[in-house]
Amino acid sequence: MSEGFEPRIVGFFCKWCTYAGADLAGTSRLQYPPNVLPIRVMCSSRVDPVFLLTAYLRGADAVLIGGCHPGDCHYIEGNYYTRRRVALLKNIFETLKLDTERLRLSWISASEGPRFAKVITEYTENTKKIGPNPAKNKIFI
Amino acid sequence: MSKVFKINKPAEEGLVGFLKHLLDSGKVKGVMTLVKNDAPVDSAKYSVNYSLVTKSEALGNAVPLYPLMPANAGSLLSDLTIKQPLKEPIAVVLKPCEIRAFVELVKREQGHLDNMLLISSSCGGVYQFDVFVNEDMDKKLPDYWKAVKNLDLYDSLRPTCNGCIHFEPYTADITVDLVGNKNLDKECTMYINTENGQKYIDGMEGKSSEAALDKKPLKEFLEKRERERNQLFSDISDQIVGLDNLINTFGRCLGCHGCGNTCPICYCILCDFESKNHEFSPSTYETELSKRGGIRVPPNTLLYHLGRLTHMSYSCIGCGLCSDVCPVDIPVSTIFVRVGENAQKLFDYVPGRDVDEKIPLTKFEKDEFAEVEE
Amino acid sequence: MAKTNNKTDAKSMKGTVISTKEGLSKAITDFLKQAFEKNCFDTILIPVKVPANDSYAWVLLKDPALLDDANPLAPIMPVQGGKALSSILKHGVTDSSIAAVIRPCEMKAAIELYKLKQVKLDNITLITMDCPGVLPLKDWFKNPDEGEKKFKDIIKKWDDKDVRPLCQICDKFSVPLNEENATYPDLHFGVLGCSDGTGFVIPGSSKGEEILDTVGLTATKEVDKWESKVNEVTTQKRKKRSEAHKALNKEVGGSKNLPVAFALCINCHNCMRVCPVCYCQHCYFDSEALNKPPEVHLMRAAQKGSLLFKPDCLLFQVGRMSHMTLSCVSCGTCEDACPMSIKVGQVFSMVADQSQDAFNYQAGRSKDVPHPLRVFEDEQELDQVVTMCKDILETGEHK
Ligand code: SF4
Ligand code: SF4
Ligand code: SF4
Ligand code: SF4
Ligand code: FES
Repeated sequence: MSEGFEPRIVGFFCKWCTYAGADLAGTSRLQYPPNVLPIRVMCSSRVDPVFLLTAYLRGADAVLIGGCHPGDCHYIEGNYYTRRRVALLKNIFETLKLDTERLRLSWISASEGPRFAKVITEYTENTKKIGPNPAKNKIFI
Repeated sequence: MSKVFKINKPAEEGLVGFLKHLLDSGKVKGVMTLVKNDAPVDSAKYSVNYSLVTKSEALGNAVPLYPLMPANAGSLLSDLTIKQPLKEPIAVVLKPCEIRAFVELVKREQGHLDNMLLISSSCGGVYQFDVFVNEDMDKKLPDYWKAVKNLDLYDSLRPTCNGCIHFEPYTADITVDLVGNKNLDKECTMYINTENGQKYIDGMEGKSSEAALDKKPLKEFLEKRERERNQLFSDISDQIVGLDNLINTFGRCLGCHGCGNTCPICYCILCDFESKNHEFSPSTYETELSKRGGIRVPPNTLLYHLGRLTHMSYSCIGCGLCSDVCPVDIPVSTIFVRVGENAQKLFDYVPGRDVDEKIPLTKFEKDEFAEVEE
Repeated sequence: MAKTNNKTDAKSMKGTVISTKEGLSKAITDFLKQAFEKNCFDTILIPVKVPANDSYAWVLLKDPALLDDANPLAPIMPVQGGKALSSILKHGVTDSSIAAVIRPCEMKAAIELYKLKQVKLDNITLITMDCPGVLPLKDWFKNPDEGEKKFKDIIKKWDDKDVRPLCQICDKFSVPLNEENATYPDLHFGVLGCSDGTGFVIPGSSKGEEILDTVGLTATKEVDKWESKVNEVTTQKRKKRSEAHKALNKEVGGSKNLPVAFALCINCHNCMRVCPVCYCQHCYFDSEALNKPPEVHLMRAAQKGSLLFKPDCLLFQVGRMSHMTLSCVSCGTCEDACPMSIKVGQVFSMVADQSQDAFNYQAGRSKDVPHPLRVFEDEQELDQVVTMCKDILETGEHK
């Protein structure tokens, strides 16, 4: 059923690292699938788990938070808080047996263009494998 | 060894006597406690509400140990002290989970603990609103107290009360001994847990002693409650695992947000989900309609509940108020307690246990949760 | 709005006979399907059974297949339709045109919200029906299957003993007849007074007429049988209503009884949040404005020796009333959502009738009659209002 299925992935990328990493991947002409809709945030810690839930329930096939590596956050410790929030969200998803595979947190620095391309490729492939988000055509969400 | 203070009167009467003494002696300026009020129209029933009492005569109708929670007293104490701490002391009598709620609120800068004498009890749970509103409470109450004495679960209570394992208060200055206490009709037994508590007890007529707390009945009760909790969890499991089941369970939700608005932990004055942030514009509706054959109006039913879980499940103290105010009988509290337990385990956190324990999402360790990142 | 819903001469009403052999609900959904096919509108707002089969929810649908699970005459009203409409059309209009299939009181709420600028009605077709009322949520959830059966019976016999208390005394269960300036739905389905298995679809606007023309149901028949039955039931209901209000007034009127009526209130504000006309995103009574330093609370408590906490439960009730009583459409949604079974809807409706009378205003009856608080005549009028409010609060009666 996932034949020809092109997932839509919503990415929340911090301006200082992952978003810059995406830029670098672009300017270095690295190939990666065009399935991600990037949203720039000032820091990964700007992302309320509710943003991820909103994207998920409105039918995004997967969501991705990208931030600086631990210790490198432009705001010193923002991403440590992000990590806790994502841990919590995944924990809630586990209890409710929702697809944790549709949630991902990745640290990608401004200089890691290739890593950006790799993460996107991998994640897109994986999302293709698990298929479209069932929330997409639900009426009563 | 613990400090025990005994008054030679039934538990509630003894406690009211103590509260009167506190007011009369001027040791406290006020007492926050449950009070019985006039009969509502068209029934012989009375209502039970929290009141802030300043004169001991007004304590005539006080029922500090009444098994009802018309509002979470934690929220009420926050209302009382959100602007400033109390300058003069008051005594409050509340259930263990209400203290925990207040402690969580204090951590969130929604109130102050200063100048409060916290009186609680080992707690047998509280009645569901439906039972209180529709049944003859004078006939029912003896059953309640029998169950408390005999360490029995009792099915007219809030389901999460029967599954509550935090029925002993963590930070009360004084704990009235109720659960498993066969003598509560004759004697008011209070454990004095803090120096603050002792300070207020001094001068009160009664018998002080040192005694070892008999942990056996409490342990037995805890085991019963744990079993019931697991039962609740396994009963609810079918209703909450997987997207489809969640949609089924919350399908009837009105979106009244009564659950969140009465939740003591949900303190935001304007909830994100009631704000413009989550309103759909006409074009958002049309976008959604391009993906599906139809869309529920108002939208965001599941988003509200899942979102609320991400905002507060780690602090859910399981008081059960949300289920009780739900007009369509969704077992909100059982679901939140279920999800909350795992979230609390994740962070090794017991909400409301200690005011100095930081809220999990406001702290971090540098080396933790590495598995979350990929 | 180019096409107005105004019919000044209600007597000239015409309708088309439709079959209701399989029930009015089915007749309406069949009609919607036809109109949908002919592109009379792009989407429909209608109650649809939820997946668990235990309730109904509003769905804005564009897939006609979903109409199979829809029920224009749902046995319950979990969310007031006026509120649902406002959720879609508060910030503007949709490109696609909407048909909203709602109850008469929901249309009234929509009209009030329109005047309060909380909904735009430009691109919408309003469809209503003779309404037998709805079941109280509390009864329904005891056994939805039973409820479904019970309600079928209620529609058949037009028997109101099991519907919500406010539905039992609702005198605006159809369209306004012989009322000046009244706003009509574009289409109304009438069954009262019709012979078994038949009903009328009655256009109330040129838009409605066009739709009927398009689906080949041009309205030509006189509807006087239906009209006289509507008038008859209205008279009965009015009588019942004024009796009920009188009795309630005795029970809860006056500064002594009112607090008792709300003694069980736990201040959850569910009533306000489900009320269609309480549209404020951030209610004053939930706001920081009511936070006071502890000394103030203690001082207030000291005056009487004791202060109900949280304080100002009655301030909320009467305050809310003062904000919205002129727009209250007596739907009873508030009462349905009250966890303490307080007669909040009945009390609000009683006060609403009195206050709306005083302003010679009927909530939701006309788009063109301005909301009384948005116009004024002179100083004297203001004095009258102040005296009236005092009267109602002190004696529970408007003289
Ligand atoms: S949740 Fe626990 S502490 Fe709270 S009222 Fe129920 S039994 Fe008592
Ligand atoms: S109280 Fe019940 S109906 Fe209201 S929002 Fe919560 S779950 Fe939904
Ligand atoms: S106050 Fe109650 S009866 Fe009046 S409009 Fe609001 S919900 Fe309906
Ligand atoms: S819904 Fe009922 S209990 Fe809640 S505030 Fe309204 S009247 Fe009071
Ligand atoms: S700035 Fe990149 S994670 Fe904080």
